[in-house]
Amino acid sequence: MKRVFEHPAEKLTGKRYWRSLNEFSDTPEFRGWLEREFPSGAAQLNGDEWSRRGFLKLMGASMALAGFGLTSCRRPEMHLVPFSKSVEWTIPGKALYYATAMPRRTGAIPLIAATVDGRPIKLEGNPLHPASGGATDAFAQASLLDLYDPARAKRFAEVKEKEENGEKKRVLETRDRAAFEKYLADLQTKIAADGGAGLAFLSEEVHSPTRERLRTKLQEKYPKMRWCVYDPLLTEAQSFATQLSFGDNARLVPRLERADVVLAIDSDFLDCGEGDLAGIRAFSSRRRIGEAKETMNRLYTVENCFTLTGAMADHRMRCPASQIPAFTRALAGKIAIATKDQGLASTIATLSEPVNAMQFDDAWLTECANDLMAKPGASLVLAGPHQPVVVQLMVYAINSALKNVGATLVIREFIKTPKTNSILQLAGEMNSGRIKQLFILGGDPVYNAPKGITIDKDTKAPVDWTDLQKKVPDVVRLGYYEDATSELSTWQVPSAHYLESWSDALTNDGAYLAIQPMILPLFGGMSELDLMNAVLGNAKVDGPELVQETFRATAPPGDFQTAWTQLLRDGFATHVALKEKPPTFNSNNAGGVAHTLWTSAPNPTLDAPEIVLTRSYNIDDGRYINNGWLQELPDPITKLTWDNAALMSPAMAKHLGVETGDLINIAVTETTKDTNGKNIRRELVIAALISPGHADNSISIALGYGRKRTGPIGEEAGFNGFLLRNSSNPHFIAVDSKTVESVSVTTAPTEKQPASPSPGAPSAAPTTPPKVRAHTLGSYALSITQDHWSIEGRGLVREASLEHYREDPEFVKKIAGDEELPARLPSIYSHPPLTAEQQWGMSVDLNVCTGCSACIIACQAENNIPIVGKLQVGHGRAMHWLRLDRYYASEKPFNQDLGEYPENPEIVHEPMMCQHCENAPCETVCPVNATVHSEDGLNVMAYNRCIGTRYCANNCPFKVRRFNFFDYNQRPMGKKKVGPLEVYQEYIAPFTEKGAPDTTKLQKNPNVTVRMRGVMEKCTYCVQRIEEAKIAAHVKAGASPNTRIPTDSFTSACAQVCPTGAIVFGDVKDPESKVSKMKMQDRNYRLLEYLNVNTRTSYLARIRNPNPKMPDANRIAVASLGHESHENGAKHEPAEMKPEEKP
Amino acid sequence: MDGATTAPDVIEGEESASVERPLARVPLVLNRRNFSWITERISGAVEGVAPRWWWVAFAITSMVAMFGLFCLGYQISTGVGVWGLNHPVGWAWDITNFVFWIGIGHAGTLISAILYLLRQKWRTSINRSAEAMTLFAVICAAIFPGVHVGRVWMAWFLAPLPNNYGIWPNFRSPLLWDVFAVSTYFSVSVLFWYTGLIPDLATLRDRATTKIKKLLYGIFALGWRGSNRNWRHYEMAYLLLAGLSTPLVLSVHSVVSFDFATSIVPTWHTTIFPPYFVAGAIFGGFAMVLTLLVPARAIYKLQDIITIQHIDKMAKVILLTGSFVSYAYAMEFFVAWYSGNQYEKFAFFNRIFGPYWWYWWVGMLFCNALSPQLFWFRRFRQNIYVVYFVCMCVNAGMWFERFIIIVGGLHRDFLPSSWGLFIPTWVDIWTFVGTFGIFLSLFLIFIRYLPMIAMSEVKIVLPEANPHHASPEEHHLVAAGGGERTQ
Repeated sequence: MKRVFEHPAEKLTGKRYWRSLNEFSDTPEFRGWLEREFPSGAAQLNGDEWSRRGFLKLMGASMALAGFGLTSCRRPEMHLVPFSKSVEWTIPGKALYYATAMPRRTGAIPLIAATVDGRPIKLEGNPLHPASGGATDAFAQASLLDLYDPARAKRFAEVKEKEENGEKKRVLETRDRAAFEKYLADLQTKIAADGGAGLAFLSEEVHSPTRERLRTKLQEKYPKMRWCVYDPLLTEAQSFATQLSFGDNARLVPRLERADVVLAIDSDFLDCGEGDLAGIRAFSSRRRIGEAKETMNRLYTVENCFTLTGAMADHRMRCPASQIPAFTRALAGKIAIATKDQGLASTIATLSEPVNAMQFDDAWLTECANDLMAKPGASLVLAGPHQPVVVQLMVYAINSALKNVGATLVIREFIKTPKTNSILQLAGEMNSGRIKQLFILGGDPVYNAPKGITIDKDTKAPVDWTDLQKKVPDVVRLGYYEDATSELSTWQVPSAHYLESWSDALTNDGAYLAIQPMILPLFGGMSELDLMNAVLGNAKVDGPELVQETFRATAPPGDFQTAWTQLLRDGFATHVALKEKPPTFNSNNAGGVAHTLWTSAPNPTLDAPEIVLTRSYNIDDGRYINNGWLQELPDPITKLTWDNAALMSPAMAKHLGVETGDLINIAVTETTKDTNGKNIRRELVIAALISPGHADNSISIALGYGRKRTGPIGEEAGFNGFLLRNSSNPHFIAVDSKTVESVSVTTAPTEKQPASPSPGAPSAAPTTPPKVRAHTLGSYALSITQDHWSIEGRGLVREASLEHYREDPEFVKKIAGDEELPARLPSIYSHPPLTAEQQWGMSVDLNVCTGCSACIIACQAENNIPIVGKLQVGHGRAMHWLRLDRYYASEKPFNQDLGEYPENPEIVHEPMMCQHCENAPCETVCPVNATVHSEDGLNVMAYNRCIGTRYCANNCPFKVRRFNFFDYNQRPMGKKKVGPLEVYQEYIAPFTEKGAPDTTKLQKNPNVTVRMRGVMEKCTYCVQRIEEAKIAAHVKAGASPNTRIPTDSFTSACAQVCPTGAIVFGDVKDPESKVSKMKMQDRNYRLLEYLNVNTRTSYLARIRNPNPKMPDANRIAVASLGHESHENGAKHEPAEMKPEEKP
Repeated sequence: MDGATTAPDVIEGEESASVERPLARVPLVLNRRNFSWITERISGAVEGVAPRWWWVAFAITSMVAMFGLFCLGYQISTGVGVWGLNHPVGWAWDITNFVFWIGIGHAGTLISAILYLLRQKWRTSINRSAEAMTLFAVICAAIFPGVHVGRVWMAWFLAPLPNNYGIWPNFRSPLLWDVFAVSTYFSVSVLFWYTGLIPDLATLRDRATTKIKKLLYGIFALGWRGSNRNWRHYEMAYLLLAGLSTPLVLSVHSVVSFDFATSIVPTWHTTIFPPYFVAGAIFGGFAMVLTLLVPARAIYKLQDIITIQHIDKMAKVILLTGSFVSYAYAMEFFVAWYSGNQYEKFAFFNRIFGPYWWYWWVGMLFCNALSPQLFWFRRFRQNIYVVYFVCMCVNAGMWFERFIIIVGGLHRDFLPSSWGLFIPTWVDIWTFVGTFGIFLSLFLIFIRYLPMIAMSEVKIVLPEANPHHASPEEHHLVAAGGGERTQ
């Protein structure tokens, strides 16, 4: 396909000259005359029916047919063009941008991929589409690294059983694609023999219309086949409740921009990792506050473990996950009485009083309910997807009673999907031997399927997926890694990355997106669509035909080719309309189901704590386990890297006598029996992590870690929470006497370790971490990037309640302790003049920063920042140029050095990167002039000049400079076996191989130097982007003197990725720029101003909006209260504080 | 050693008798040792066969030194990460050791230069070895800033070499001042030491029994003839060098302290640092001089030259400078409290109650501030064991002091989010131990091949050297077989 460039008409400037009157009047005849090469009629051969052009065409064709030139005749190249020969539209060193999208569990994120010489090097949100608005999240940013992962599956492999030392082992043997195709052809005849009765597909949740279309085709061809979707973190509870309450194919879309009061019940809706960036932006649009008289929304959360949403909350209640039903019922009761809503009343009428439930603070509940009811139609109650159906139903009923349905909660109709089986049904059929051919498309069920997934009919004991998969004769596994599931399959097929394959996707609210490849599959992998197409028996397609066919069915307006081009260019199709459903809540359905399903577990106690299995902020459900960027990304709340841990409250840890890093043994005894008639007992040994703000008697474990077989990055990282998980309690395990008999948490190993594990017992899985020591469990090294969480009364994060802000809009200037600091004296150094026309600066609005950490990964991707490995992070050598400081603030002072923890603190986040001080302390101390100031206000680093004295880092008050202690980019990191020893390779660097893996090199941003060891580095405000913009401005200006970069025409990587727009970068000299306007606000403050460093980055103070009537209103927005002043009893007025030590 | 054999090594009772006469000036050399005895005793240590203890000691120290060098090689080849440094703590043992060794290097030049200018004649017994110690300590010190950088092979960027990029070192950086200060100090100290050695080298040349010794000592003696003219030039040169060294003694450690004082880290950013550091350096340096001389004095039986009076005087210097240092410690706390600056206040609070609390309590409070207070009493000043104990305390305490200043300041500064701890690795420890190996090996070589006491200078302060000297007991002494009075 030839590329047609349509340059927009140049605007005429200056005087207009004309050659003739015709030109002046610009008649169509004249235009025609201008464009024609020859005068009219000259193209015709005189007196012949052939045109000159036609004649030449005919002659050319005859020559070709005659055999000449056949050697150069090729089929049109459908591939992406290789860059061995340069292509006309590329400029070396310039990035090309293509629209694509990243498919996600609940939708997709529209993306723009920047490619250099055919390699995608950076992903950005598609600014044209509201589902992204130019932003992305950490996973989308990091997915780029997965593409280049040297450990990904690179081969078609057949699994053979082999005997080795008398042991039967399953070994993957390399085959080629042709061998697989031959195998598939054989398999097809087997499948076709009985109409697909033995055929089953197990796939992950993906919202791709083309996949649905192919699936329908498969269903037509093999009517008896089964299609099964399993995603360990999705439950049917929410969708079931939604269908029940609002009709088939309904999907709820919260409209947070309309909500004044939001109550999140165990719902982490601000978690970017779920990909709902539009929702986060909508929420933050009501959080952003320009001046004191503006209003903002109010957020209540009720949750077990601190989440990003909880950290943003104005009021947060700690509540074990198993007590959420009781809480929701109590709240629903209050609202039902006050609103006299029939639907709500009938839904909860038949729910019995929970026994031994948690006692909730009645004032809290009442005021929260009153606040919600005060804003009918502008409030919103959200429940987490892992809460049971009853909670979902009650929440829908509450929203309906509050008149929110249709206002802040929109019901949307999604595409109809044919019936999908659950993995439990599939397991049952596998157990009975009905499944003969199983295609596993992605996922790792051997690792993450629920334990004891089905009950064997003969033995009456539960069976694990591991055993079931062995019963299926032909298992084809399309996998991104060669893992535990590949080993138990017949064939392992390498999966293509989404940046390597054609597809399409739907966003959270149903918009149609195109996914186009940026690069040919690096290792010849197949996409899901390719494999389904192959199973259908169709010819192999290399191009977008499959997707085009789907797209054609959406009836694009106008010419198809134009519409298709438009789709690829924009990345989404506007004509695919979102269908709304009537906002009517079906309380009859809801009430009945609620009554049948209602259970409420007793309040967990120390002897019977609950175990909550959560999504990891770093690696999702484990799918990103081998992604180094994400592994090393500090968890936004705990700041833990490279591991998961058992999070527990300080009180619980004290009772158990454990410290952070101590190993604990969690044992869950189920009511089901194994073949020996004993109750099944599932155990997990895991490191504890004390997490202030966690609910008492509850333990949270992030899923996805503790895998035995994956790439080198993910192996041995963390503890496998899936070992505790069975199908009846996938999200939290609480003693309810129905499925769980007891839960015990001890610091000692259990009395006896089963020597020969009984079938079905979890220790039979190859994933048991062998971390148990002889008598005591010992401890485990956790790499936490921030050890100190008290802000020590320093005005680093400044915070106030909305009320206080209104009383004193200048509160940010009056932080306790500041008045004692010395006056700012003029600098005695001479500084280079800041003479450039444009001066760069940054502003961070702490009020909308959720702490999602996408900026960290964006910075890492943009600036070629290496990962350093778990040990090095533990040694305090993480390289992130941008870090997110997290502080716990509580109304009562606590001394962390004495081991004191706040029980129920609030969290404040603060992104911290180089502040680009105008009087930079790092610059004066560098002996070799390696860090200097530029005229446009950047504190720049010359890596070539740096010799690594580290003096600059010592003298940096913000500690944002990062030193290359080892050759992170050139030498391998992490453990390696050398003889009998396990050594960390960084410590034997001269004996390791030098150079990064080739694929890793492909990812690097060519505009940013890759640093060697011994060199200091730090945030540059993305100087490469500034320079690129400058060059573009110069090119555009030509000879004219206007080389000014247009206002806000580009931004830094962290600002670009930020889903809430909390980080803003731009020209601080330009009063029209966004950053200047932010700096004009009265909440603006700079850090450590007394040092006279004149930082270019400033912060906007955080405002919380507590409800003054709430019992806990006093302990909200306390981060910037100096504790000394706090003891004096005057809250919120640090300005009037008298320091305790007056001479 | 025929001349010396006639006199006993130690004459008991004589020194206490002289001490008991408070009004009389105590002689600098006891037992009325004459020129010959001095020459024999001091040259004898160089000329004789190396004793077995020397070989044993040298084997140990040189092995330790080699292992230290191996650690340096390992660090250079692998990365600074083999040390325990991390992100808040960019300097730890490396710069601690640097400041520690530089501090030790202060006593030598102070003794040779300042005491010379002040006509403190007692310096003559100790100045030579103190100066040698200075040089070796500066060598040890210079290792650390040299190799602690991330890219050692680029360290020449520190030199102001003209280059085609037109890039100069940053003259505002105290680290660069350090480079100049330390290298100047080292050069002048070497010159000063060598100048003082010339007459003694000539003595060794004259006494040499083998050709090689004669040649080598001859070359380095620069044709010294002991003529009037020689002496006149020598003394002028010595005086000038003493004058040149004197400001350097004060400047080097002041400049080293600027590394900290000009930065903005709480506890570093203080104007008190230059005098505080200089006092600390003299304090630590004298302790190290005593640490080396007390055993050497016993081994080589030099109690008559390095008398208890010398030790007493040095103990007084330690007491004085130790009190300066203690005052500085107290003043730091006062200023931090008086400033009201919460960051400073916290940093000093953290110094005594933070994670490194015991470094302060043991190192700074007990070793540096309290233990020298014993020297208020003459009994303790003149008790070798007490003196040695206090000197060891001061040696350790001064290292701890530097560690507390450097790591204690860095590990918890402005942003609590970036607080961290420093834990040394085996490479940290062995690099430091290795420098002791280097230091002691060099010192052992020094006492083996060069006169450890300035013979000529000691002779100058003998009563016999005074032309107007006429001791009534002279004849009696000569008759007792003290030896001839030549030279």
